[in-house]
Amino acid sequence: MNALTGTRVIDLTQAMAAPFCTMNLADMGADVIKIEPPGAGEPTRREGAVQKNGVSGSFLAMNRNKRSLSVDLKQPDGVAVMKRLARTADVFVQNYRPGVVTRLGIGYEALAKEHPRLVYCSVSGFGSTGPYASRGGYDLIAQGMSGIISVTGDEDGPPAKSGIPLSDLTAGLYAAYGILAALEYRDRTGEGQHVDTSLFEAAMSLTVWESTEYWATGRTPQRLGSAHRLTAPYQAVRASDGYFTVGANNDKLFDACCRAIDRLDLLTDARFAARDDRLKNRAALIAEIETTTAGGTRAHWLARLDEAGVPCGPINTYPEALADPHTLARNMVVDLVHPVAGEIKALGVPVKLSDTPGAVERAAPLVGEHTAEILTELGYSDAEQRDLRARGVV
Amino acid sequence: MMALDGVRVIDQTQVMAGPTCTMLLGDLGADVIKVEPPEGETTRGMEPRLGSGHSAAFLAVNRNKRSLALDLKDARGVDVFKKLVATSDILVENYRPGVARRLGIDYDTLAAINARLIYCSISGFGQTGPYANRGGYDLVAQGMSGIMSATGNEGGPPVKVGVPIADLGAGLFGVFGIMCALRARRLTGRGQYVDTSLFEAGVALSQWEATEYWCTGNVPKRLGTAHRLNAPYQAFRASDGHFTVGAANDKLWPLFCGVLGLDHLTRDARFDTLAGRVRNRVELEVLIEAVTSTKTRAHWLARCEEAGIPAGPISTVPEAHADPQARARGMVQEVDHPDAGRVKTLGNPVKMSKSPPRLRKAAPRLGEDTRTILRELGYAEDDVAALARAKVIA
Repeated sequence: MNALTGTRVIDLTQAMAAPFCTMNLADMGADVIKIEPPGAGEPTRREGAVQKNGVSGSFLAMNRNKRSLSVDLKQPDGVAVMKRLARTADVFVQNYRPGVVTRLGIGYEALAKEHPRLVYCSVSGFGSTGPYASRGGYDLIAQGMSGIISVTGDEDGPPAKSGIPLSDLTAGLYAAYGILAALEYRDRTGEGQHVDTSLFEAAMSLTVWESTEYWATGRTPQRLGSAHRLTAPYQAVRASDGYFTVGANNDKLFDACCRAIDRLDLLTDARFAARDDRLKNRAALIAEIETTTAGGTRAHWLARLDEAGVPCGPINTYPEALADPHTLARNMVVDLVHPVAGEIKALGVPVKLSDTPGAVERAAPLVGEHTAEILTELGYSDAEQRDLRARGVV
Repeated sequence: MMALDGVRVIDQTQVMAGPTCTMLLGDLGADVIKVEPPEGETTRGMEPRLGSGHSAAFLAVNRNKRSLALDLKDARGVDVFKKLVATSDILVENYRPGVARRLGIDYDTLAAINARLIYCSISGFGQTGPYANRGGYDLVAQGMSGIMSATGNEGGPPVKVGVPIADLGAGLFGVFGIMCALRARRLTGRGQYVDTSLFEAGVALSQWEATEYWCTGNVPKRLGTAHRLNAPYQAFRASDGHFTVGAANDKLWPLFCGVLGLDHLTRDARFDTLAGRVRNRVELEVLIEAVTSTKTRAHWLARCEEAGIPAGPISTVPEAHADPQARARGMVQEVDHPDAGRVKTLGNPVKMSKSPPRLRKAAPRLGEDTRTILRELGYAEDDVAALARAKVIA
């Protein structure tokens, strides 16, 4: 059994943020039913740049462990099928721009009236209220508006964003958190509710450290490459064959770090005596450290620092990170078989539950792969199903 | 009523990842009891400080919690702790693996006292695998998971994501795992062990990059603010700074050309498909910036909004706080602290219609609730006084 076995989720989502939300629920055993238009399916299926045997990699990445029901929501009978499904569901997740679902007749109010226990979750660019509610939002835009881009990148270089779409992904995680909270509330009260989050709000919540720094000091946080604004050394440093990271941000670790690189002189250097000194003289400190570390390989220094108990690590490329023995030991790479794409890989479940663990069991579905199965579960007879198919409703 | 009313959480965490996880539970109404050594959790000594001398970093991630100051190195302290465990639903700790066992508060020991306890460990690398015993920092996890390899400008020095995404991601996956375990407990009646890490969070947030590598064999590289698979989708220079635009798809691309007065680009063979725009991104950027750099950010943002093109400023942290959407969505809140006065804190990014997350109180003073909690556990006044005299509690 999985933690969410028996929880049914209707997934009317596209692209990344909301599909990542429902994927996390599916990993924990929820029955996630992806609703797609008949024919081509969700638009992400048509993304061309990353494909395996003609199957969109982006789609594969976000839709494992789900079932697919293709139904035309532009036809009233399609909406009827959806509503019948909604009556059997615990959770409904959608990420249209605010207003679209109301037009389709499947907004929160419409569904809650028929099914008051339903937990209805909306994930959008900016949230369903406020002056920007109706704007389209992308991860890039949210990163820029939340302040994240302002603290990412070289001190003197052009702006840089977080290389991973963290507004999308954390909006998905916050949505999953809100949904689970709403299910707890429902168990106590019998009532569902509307859960509403956005890329913009998720991104802002990630600036907790930077916001606090600003409020406490009045200084606007700036970008510092790989370094930390409040502690040093804590950044990438140069070796003879590239960079590695080291975090020696307290007196004990600084001592261990200097010993590990045979620079005892730094321990008695007045410029680096206390934490505040090291931060104030960060550039000089890193220059001193690099005169030594540039003379040896990354592997050499990482072995020395690790032995001394100083947090440190390589800056891995993705091929390196995904082949790292620790990645594999923690089951973070899973092999799957997809009927068209063939043998594919997927990332594993990052949170391990001892009694009811999550699992990656099935590759993303084909469009409408489970339509007949789900209609049968809902009680549609063979004749009714034939009729719906003939009219292009499913 | 709040979603987690009546749920008691023991918060045995420090610094960022663990405290973020328990803060998210506290926001939902859980009774989060921060168990601190009599000298206080290490973050209380961290910069920056407010005028009152309080660590702003501590205040940032410990709102809605109570504080119990307890010496776990004293057997009488462990006794108090075990009484608390018997009345609790959840425990979260983020020591290095092995430390909890040494303190006598590891999962096996505590599950024997309370079989319904959900015990969550958040560490650098997880409790198993070759790096389990290493110390892990956000920086190290960003480097090892591949995130840094995709962040920054090509050719420049290494850059990390400016916000501590591995820390915060681990906190989010931790709270997700805990909430799933609460759902499972309703079915099984049993608690369980939940185990996640900064490293795994970093890997799990690399869904897009991993799938790109697996499908294409291309190693994802860093591209500043640009996207490896979409263009134009990046920051462009205006006369007074940069702004972001996402106009990559075939609907938005001609609209953006119209805004720029570059309609001829829609007929330019280099740019008439998404694949072409991605391939010729650098040339495209030069052509676009020749126009955008002649006018202000405000000009271009207004034009993009009129045209329905997702776009936004690159806000600093104070600008983000002042943004009307951030205000409208309650992303900046204020709360009274008994010593520090009125302090600011970020709002919870998830809005819920019936049981919304709530800011109930500021972070506690050290040991603020020790006596109340001991009384709740049934200790007589004499016993409390004796424990205080022996410096087992503070």
